[in-house]
Amino acid sequence: MELWVGALNLGFLYAFVAIGIYITFRIHDFPDITVDGTFTTGAAVTSVLVVSGTHPLLAVAASFIACSAAGSITALINTRLNVNSLLAGILVMTGLYSINLHIMGRSNIPLLEAPEFFTLLDRVNPGAPREPWIAICLTFIVAASWFAVSFFFKTDFGLSMRASGNNPVMARAAGINVDRVKILGVAFANGLVGISGSLVAQYQGFSDIGMGIGTVVTGLAAVIIGESILKKHSIYVWIGSAIAGSVIFRFMIAIALYAGMNPIDLKLLTAIFVLITLVITARIGKGAGKLKKKHLFAAAMAVVAIIGIFAGMKYGNFSGIIPQKKVRIGVFQVSDNPILSITRDAFLAEMKRLGYVEGENATFLVENANGDLATVNTIADKFLREKVDIVVPISTACTQVSVNKIKDRPVVFATVANPFIIGAGKSDTDHLPNVTGVYGAVPMDKTMEIVRKILPGHLRIGVIWDPSQANSEENVNNLKKALKNHPEVTFVGGNIAGSSEVHQVAASLVHKNINAFVLPTDNIVYSAFESVVKAARSKKVPIIYNDVDHPEGGALAVFGYTYETSGRQAANLADRILKGEDPASIPFERYKETVLGVNLKVAKELGLTIPRDLIDEATVIVDEKGNKKKRDGGPAEGKPAGPVKRLALFQFTDSVVLDVSARGVIDRLKQSGILEKENITIDQKLAHGDFSTAQSMAQDIVSKNYDYIVTISTVSLQVTVNNNKKIPHVFGTVTDPIKAGVAKSFTDHPPNMTGLATPQPVESTVRLMRRVFPNAKIIGMIWNPAEANSEICTLMTREAAKKYGFKLVEVQITGTQEIDEALRSVLGSSPDIFFTSGDTTVSSVIPSIAQKLRQKKIPYITNTPADIDSGAFMCLGADYYDVGLKTADLAIRVIRGEKPSGIPIVSYVPEQLTVNLFLAKEYGITISNDLIKKAVKVVK
Amino acid sequence: MTMIGISGFHKTFNAGTINEVYALRGIDLDIAEGEFLTIIGTNGSGKSTLLNAIAGTFLPDRGTITIGGKDMAKKPDFQRAQVISRVFQNPFTGTAPQMTIAENLHLASLRGKPRYPIFSLSSDRLAGYREEVRMLEMQLEDRLDNTIGTLSGGQRQALTLLMAVMNEPKVLLLDEHTAALDPKSASQVVALTEKFISRYNLTAVMVTHSMQQALELGTRTILMNKGKVIEEITGKEKQFLTVNDLLDRFADLRKQEKLTSEMIEEMRREYL
Repeated sequence: MELWVGALNLGFLYAFVAIGIYITFRIHDFPDITVDGTFTTGAAVTSVLVVSGTHPLLAVAASFIACSAAGSITALINTRLNVNSLLAGILVMTGLYSINLHIMGRSNIPLLEAPEFFTLLDRVNPGAPREPWIAICLTFIVAASWFAVSFFFKTDFGLSMRASGNNPVMARAAGINVDRVKILGVAFANGLVGISGSLVAQYQGFSDIGMGIGTVVTGLAAVIIGESILKKHSIYVWIGSAIAGSVIFRFMIAIALYAGMNPIDLKLLTAIFVLITLVITARIGKGAGKLKKKHLFAAAMAVVAIIGIFAGMKYGNFSGIIPQKKVRIGVFQVSDNPILSITRDAFLAEMKRLGYVEGENATFLVENANGDLATVNTIADKFLREKVDIVVPISTACTQVSVNKIKDRPVVFATVANPFIIGAGKSDTDHLPNVTGVYGAVPMDKTMEIVRKILPGHLRIGVIWDPSQANSEENVNNLKKALKNHPEVTFVGGNIAGSSEVHQVAASLVHKNINAFVLPTDNIVYSAFESVVKAARSKKVPIIYNDVDHPEGGALAVFGYTYETSGRQAANLADRILKGEDPASIPFERYKETVLGVNLKVAKELGLTIPRDLIDEATVIVDEKGNKKKRDGGPAEGKPAGPVKRLALFQFTDSVVLDVSARGVIDRLKQSGILEKENITIDQKLAHGDFSTAQSMAQDIVSKNYDYIVTISTVSLQVTVNNNKKIPHVFGTVTDPIKAGVAKSFTDHPPNMTGLATPQPVESTVRLMRRVFPNAKIIGMIWNPAEANSEICTLMTREAAKKYGFKLVEVQITGTQEIDEALRSVLGSSPDIFFTSGDTTVSSVIPSIAQKLRQKKIPYITNTPADIDSGAFMCLGADYYDVGLKTADLAIRVIRGEKPSGIPIVSYVPEQLTVNLFLAKEYGITISNDLIKKAVKVVK
Repeated sequence: MTMIGISGFHKTFNAGTINEVYALRGIDLDIAEGEFLTIIGTNGSGKSTLLNAIAGTFLPDRGTITIGGKDMAKKPDFQRAQVISRVFQNPFTGTAPQMTIAENLHLASLRGKPRYPIFSLSSDRLAGYREEVRMLEMQLEDRLDNTIGTLSGGQRQALTLLMAVMNEPKVLLLDEHTAALDPKSASQVVALTEKFISRYNLTAVMVTHSMQQALELGTRTILMNKGKVIEEITGKEKQFLTVNDLLDRFADLRKQEKLTSEMIEEMRREYL
């Protein structure tokens, strides 16, 4: 039943797409592909607004306006610039992809707890079941829209629109400005598509950047199906037929699914169906042959067997399931800038030292906006929703959002250059009552003193920075102020907007005959520092740099703060607040430790002498052979260590699992003391989920001759093995290194590589299912065959299911937008258990699935322990922090001198069970005490 | 008073290419208000080009065209349409096939007026349109809700004519508008043309393929050849001229070497 009501609802929700396509294709004879983009735009605008608290109806209106604007751009390109309509549509659709990402700030926005349009409907629900009630409401809404749109096309303006499309020559002869009318028509149509996008997003409970793909084809299919059924000449019938076509199309999909059609083929077959119908329609138009209604109808019926899933997911609301007892600490940073990551890691380590242990007495919500400001907001919202007890923003951007948004709980910021310009306070002691933190601008006056000590006399200094970053701008302003005391120094500036420009700007500054680079902290300069070094080398220009991480990186001298101190100080402030101190009475703190590093090797190459007193003052010295020495205390105490070694910790993407695992590696390496003993620095490399980036990172690591490589994730393992034949390499957080193609067996592997295999514990999970549910028969599963790991897990599930006497019902999907239909189809076969293992597509929407399953009281079991917080019933999976620790143990063995060739690959699955007793009680399922005892986390 | 003033009009299409056509070679023509000019000429003589020039479809290389004393050439087509109405040879050109007779007429009646998203096709107006359509004597008055696509060519062309004149434009341009019709419909449409032109006192220019039509209709006839006006027949002379007289004049023109015998032969084939 629900499958059909759901199909009806989706048909209604997509009816606006059908009407929009009808308007562009049939009324304006304008094949408009923009809709693939505007559908997503509608969803994006709505979700951003709804999440920020805008009324859902206003959000729908805003979506309509935004999408109309996008549509009008297509029509403007077509009419004013005389670009073919298809091409114009493709151009705008392509551009919209970026714009949509900008609107959303990331590729997927959940609307889990924001009140949306359908919540409003629920509020006026007199007690009917939810889906049928939505169907009733939508019937009225769609009927009203039908009348309104049809009536519009009867008005003087509507008639002009129809005439313009039907016969532009006649329309012009009747004094109609055809181009203008076309622009308005296409804008209106896209506005309608935006309404659909908006409503679908609210219905399924999330927006996804890919949700618009195929909109034009589905809309066209709806129009064509409608036309093949209703043939009367009246605008009411035409618009009505588009709506009917939309509903019928959804029913066809439902039927196809119900009949067990493989959804993967459905999109292809939809396209073929549309093509056939278009050809037949054209034939009828020419009167060639007697292809009439029955042919069209036959074609329409053929689609029963062939049309695809384009549906979405529904949302859930989990705030009631997760109990909150421990201290919840929200930590977030704006990007992967190493300065911020150093702060974060130092903060987390210090918190741990202070006794806040994840999972025991504290929950750390660690987030990263990946350079996107919109995401910063979303994260702050998330912290509020998740009811964290204290928020720790790292970076200026995060702090700014936090002080604006968070008024009712403490905020402790770290690594902020100037908290006063962003409204956190007026002075160290006079500040917002709930805000305190650690800050410090790079000391540019001191930097200039160092510069002058090395390079006296007339001096032209080259400065490179990105003016769009407030921090960089502030640093440069401080530098300019400092220069007032040095009249013999001339400032030569160069602005950049991206790392690709750094080399060019540096080279141009070198050509302007500068005597030195003085580079204040700047994210972009940081990321492309090597290009500055390269440009400077050509004319032997020395570099004085404020980032102190890499004194051996090619700068003559580095001076600035270590950001570990920022993180540590922030942790101590947070601790004081959590123990009851009032943030209002805690003054802002400045960083306590500075680092001065001098590179004697570079000095020698440049033929410069660094004054003795500066060398004495330095905390880090790179000697003439390139060996780095640290001095902790006073200058006299410098104890020479061995040569500096570098370890690359290479991670493919920043998913939760990989982050946790990387944290395990770092924590164990630090705890073991081997880093200090062997004088090893860790460089974290993150490819942001991009394969080509991963590839070039691996090459970079090899070409820079790192001493050790630790990879986290299968992809980073694979690209490293392809590029690296000699550097010792330890991998971890990999499901199956043999299937990944890097080793023939656990003992037969490349001589410089070893590591840890952590398969999903599928069989144990199925065994567990049998134990908890002795009478269960059917396991339902949705998975994406494009994912290699998911396929491995599914194959294992098939075998295990057979072994333990389950029947496995699988539905394959190609993307998140198909999950809702797929889930309905699975639920149609009444599974006793629903299972997800190793599938990232499904994992991305676990909360929504869990909510759906909860309505049906079907236990949801997964292989990721953390899913228990997203509404899963029971999870059995590897503890990836533990996996990280074990990976580090292998690395330590290698660092101590063992040959990787002699260490077999280890299969290691630290099984971790989590159980949701709250749901067990709700479902009436008893879970034995020994299981509960085994579980590391029990939701009550 | 001059309604259409054309002076020194030159136009070359595809200049500088292998397809270069010197279509109009210095046209000077003065068409007074209320005058009904008919144009004949061989294929490629420039008669339809002249009509398009008046309609403002292209800009002149040299020379000017004024309508009611104003240079309309640079105005967009939908604005010119408020002054100039056209009926084309192809009956499909002048109407929107998927819209009803009433909707087509309504759109035509809104020419030169703003079109708001309001419903103004009221029953009063519908009754008015019904009366107008009744005048066409095409039995369409009871089919106002039928789409144009269901009508015959003659019916469409009659409606197109009605739509062209119903808002009383200054100038009516007819481009062989009966050429594609069967003889009966053609004569019906010709009769309607005369009726409307005299009723609304329109300034009209008609390109025709029939010498008979050229002589019977209108107040003045011009003969075009190679982008020039080579002969003009006006007033009383026109009233009493027969087709044979006209052919005689062609013979005269040949003697003056304004026409070649092949062209006369072509005119004969085309027009008789």
